[in-house]
Amino acid sequence: MVDDRGRIEALEMIWTQIVEILIFPGLTFFVWIGFIFDWLERKTQARMQGRRGPILAGPFGILQPVADFFKLISKEEILPEVADRFVFQLGPPLFFAAPAIGTIFIPVLGPNAIVNNEFDLLFVLFILAFSALMAAMLGYASGGRWSIIATGRLVVQYTGYEIPLIVALVTPALLARSLSLAGIVAAQEKVWFIALAPISFIVFIVAALAELEKPPFDIPTAKTEIVGGWMTEFSGRPLAYIKLTKDLSYAFLSALAVTLFLGGPLGPVFFVDPILQSLLYFIYFVVKLFAVGFLIFTIRTALARVKINQAVRLFWMLITPLSLIQLGIIMLLGW
Amino acid sequence: MVIAGPLLIIIADIFIYQIAGRFGKRTSGKGAKYQPFTGGEEDVAPRGLYRSELFVFAALFMVVEAFALLLAGSFASPTNFYPLLFLAGGGGVVLIVTWWLMIVGGLKL
Repeated sequence: MVDDRGRIEALEMIWTQIVEILIFPGLTFFVWIGFIFDWLERKTQARMQGRRGPILAGPFGILQPVADFFKLISKEEILPEVADRFVFQLGPPLFFAAPAIGTIFIPVLGPNAIVNNEFDLLFVLFILAFSALMAAMLGYASGGRWSIIATGRLVVQYTGYEIPLIVALVTPALLARSLSLAGIVAAQEKVWFIALAPISFIVFIVAALAELEKPPFDIPTAKTEIVGGWMTEFSGRPLAYIKLTKDLSYAFLSALAVTLFLGGPLGPVFFVDPILQSLLYFIYFVVKLFAVGFLIFTIRTALARVKINQAVRLFWMLITPLSLIQLGIIMLLGW
Repeated sequence: MVIAGPLLIIIADIFIYQIAGRFGKRTSGKGAKYQPFTGGEEDVAPRGLYRSELFVFAALFMVVEAFALLLAGSFASPTNFYPLLFLAGGGGVVLIVTWWLMIVGGLKL
């Protein structure tokens, strides 16, 4: 009898964790945030350019990214003659897996995430590196001339922004004396790290724009120069997945900025009840997430594309030294 | 859950991708339709090879960086299990991917 109860409790716990990982506050939640980000980005861009943006699907066109996703999934999937079959077909879900895995390390309903590890920040950094590598691999696999030019651009741009991105992410870890995202969030109970390391936050946002291939760093997907960039040869379901991954990465990187610099879901708590506390944490998290998202898509709408040599020079000559200066200041002051 | 969580996501992801594949038509073959996009030009380019030295260095940079990250994990870990797991898993994946990039892309070191 006792064994049965223990077994049922264990099964319930496993089931709860599966739901948390796949639905809320894990993958599905972040996918929806990504869709909303996509819609908000298009709306903001349209407003800034004197247009209306999406209006047809759902109220205010909010379901347009979802409609686009399903439309692409139902379209014909063409496998180019010169493409590497295996990577071309299996690559998109693996590309999607990188940010999807990252979402389970983000604390949303409280100081702890679904999965906590003492050095999950390094795991997140590895995910970011893998994501760029996967994009390069997909571009190469498709074999088209535009894709290959774009892959070269992508990899060169990656060498520019990756170091400042890492340094910017290490700074909060140094401030918190922890490589765990939960530890970093807990260390921001009194003061957010954006107040102690503002330069790192700015560097992170700039590097995130490059990682997301958003203007002014949309060099690997520059439509007016190299058609669709490394995605040129993709159609139907793989293209839908790649676009979904980009939306998810958008939400994931914004969530990472919230976690590392804006105190994660922490904020003033007025309730003793744990459910109400979690609800309040969730609201704080979402408000901060949209603030960072809005910052990113305002910048991407306001700025024009730079050239690849200008981007790499900017990262190596300005952004990397800035990130190192911020790191040096923190080490000198011993925070 | 550190290992089971990511594995669960990968399995669910591939499963949904396969299910989604049933909605649309999948075609492959030979002919103009299956040639890479040429921007309206008539001559179809052969499979492109990227031999830029900068690209080689960039690809190597990726490998070194990923290994540095993996090694950095070992300084924070009280046991050898996770650093070794990360080194074997992560490093292996990065190496295979980069090797593939170099072979398929026709890179020469």
